[in-house]
Amino acid sequence: MILNSQKRLSSAIVLVLTAGMLAVSTLPCTGQETKPDPAGVVTGDRTSAVDAGGNSFVVPDPTDKTAPDYAQKKKDSDEYKAQAAKEPLAVKLADTVGHVRVATNFAWTLNTGYLVLFMQAGFALLTCGLVRKKNAGHLMMLNFAAYVFAFLAYYAVGYAFQFGAIAVNAAPGNIGGVPTLDHFLLGKGLWGFLGGKGFFMTGPAYDASSNVLALFEVVFMETAGYIIVGSICERITFWSFLLCELFIGAILYPVFGCWVWGGGWMSQLGNTMGLGHGYVDFAGSTVVHATGGICAMALSIILGPRLGKFGPDGKPRPFPAHNLVYVVTGTFILLFGWMGFNPGSTLGATDLRISVVAINTNLAAISGSATAMLFWYWKFGKPDVTMACNGMLAGLVAITAPCAFVSPTSAFIIGILAGLVVCLGVLFNENVTKIDDPCGAISVHGFCGLLGGICLGLFADGTYGAGWNGVGAASYLGQAGKGVTGLFYGDTKQFLVQVIGASICAAWAFGATFVFFKTVNAVKSMRVSKEVEEEGLDVPEFGLGAYPEDAVHAA
Amino acid sequence: MKKIEAIIQPHKLDAVKEALIGIGVEGITISEVRGHGRQKGHTETYRGAEYTVDLLPKVKVEIFVPDARVESIVAALSSAARSGKIGDGKIFISSIDEAVRIRNDERGEGVL
Repeated sequence: MILNSQKRLSSAIVLVLTAGMLAVSTLPCTGQETKPDPAGVVTGDRTSAVDAGGNSFVVPDPTDKTAPDYAQKKKDSDEYKAQAAKEPLAVKLADTVGHVRVATNFAWTLNTGYLVLFMQAGFALLTCGLVRKKNAGHLMMLNFAAYVFAFLAYYAVGYAFQFGAIAVNAAPGNIGGVPTLDHFLLGKGLWGFLGGKGFFMTGPAYDASSNVLALFEVVFMETAGYIIVGSICERITFWSFLLCELFIGAILYPVFGCWVWGGGWMSQLGNTMGLGHGYVDFAGSTVVHATGGICAMALSIILGPRLGKFGPDGKPRPFPAHNLVYVVTGTFILLFGWMGFNPGSTLGATDLRISVVAINTNLAAISGSATAMLFWYWKFGKPDVTMACNGMLAGLVAITAPCAFVSPTSAFIIGILAGLVVCLGVLFNENVTKIDDPCGAISVHGFCGLLGGICLGLFADGTYGAGWNGVGAASYLGQAGKGVTGLFYGDTKQFLVQVIGASICAAWAFGATFVFFKTVNAVKSMRVSKEVEEEGLDVPEFGLGAYPEDAVHAA
Repeated sequence: MKKIEAIIQPHKLDAVKEALIGIGVEGITISEVRGHGRQKGHTETYRGAEYTVDLLPKVKVEIFVPDARVESIVAALSSAARSGKIGDGKIFISSIDEAVRIRNDERGEGVL
């Protein structure tokens, strides 16, 4: 039975991929579109040359003749043109400056992306260490296959769904703007619901600027992809896990990602509904972590708890971690990778806020971990190593959305809140909801991810993000240069939109996952048999245990 | 010939080894085992759920000795393994019918 499902799944994947690639390559090129720049020889010119304050070297002609400052802007633009005509060498120099700026940001974004990629190793070690020895090989295989299969789905359609229209409302100027991706498949203008260009990363996505974005964003999607491993491990069949990864890479992650980061409708709520700067999530507390964590929650509910996790009286029984060395090493690798995750999300080293982001990220990590350690020390008499690690990750997850917009003091406080939420979340799932979450992924990524989205709406201090999502470029709340501002600094509407946005994230991630996989599970159980679960999944699912020399073999 | 089987605290293994070598014991076999005596272990918590650690890690030492040396060896072993606290372990002594050296089929006490 298992073999049949595997065969069906793999032939379906091959069929869809081949058909899709053929269809995309035969699409006619229509109209006057910006040409992609695969060689990277055109990307980055004088229009990319800006000063520290974000003021462009080139002063464009104002388009809106009814704007009150039209006359002033027209005058500035004419002055620039007159000056440029007199000093052609300066304009040539500006072309070089703009190119170097984009190149610097390419290097920054790619390298921070590589750091995020390395987080895969951290997740693999962390989750493997947290489970029982008999399932260690299974855990490593899930983490490995997650990267491969989620990438496959993102390559085919996920990237196009998420960023196929990024040039419409959210062009990332730091890396050249990706002007070729400019079409919504669903919706248009400020109400976009799904991107529609760049399928199979061909055509308009075969572009230097687009591929920087693709590399950086695919490793973010991977993070959401392997978060679920921590909740569904020790009992899920391999074929249904692959289906989970394809689902996350193709649909679950890109759709919400488009709404928030691809210039979609949630990012534009500031322009359309007057809600602050629209929904803001700097590096993905909700877009990445809560999406993965809440999806994991739905999957864990569908699968049910591991055999023997809850006694006949409902009392939770522990299955202690089999290797704390892996757990701590994995957590440190994740902390290291997070130095790419958060500071890298500026998509540019020319954005000097990166230093504040890096310090904020570390501060939340240590205050989250300290809180979890001390809380456990106080409540149970001994600090639990695995909870100390969960606390650090909780702080990291919660600071991911607000990291660029808050002060180091606020980052420290957000870490403390996350440390408390993760401790209470783990106890709540064990004792009240009875959702089996072997590695605490639901509490760490789900609950603390939502907390992070809301904390942005509380603690953002207005020092960064002027003109974010196209809101308040000239002035905001009556102040020039005022950026994204939270409730504690006077913007109630930003808080409101953050609460709404986090709720939509939870509803989407839970709803879509639950409906889809409840159906799958009804057709064919996603869970391994009782015998396989008791023996450990390593040998029945993959033919080899992680530590084959532990037992004496006959051969 | 006698077999002396001692179940001891793992951290006492080095002291026991030294004492046995000190009084001229030639061969020793040890294994890592788990078990409990009258104490029945203790409770711990893991991620908030309480559990009993009832099978504690111990080391089992097995040595085979000529009848005449049993008492002196047991005395040395016992004093080396003793901390005076609960959980120090036990020593069991039993008779052995025969011993064979695999290399050359030699038999009897000379094998030991």
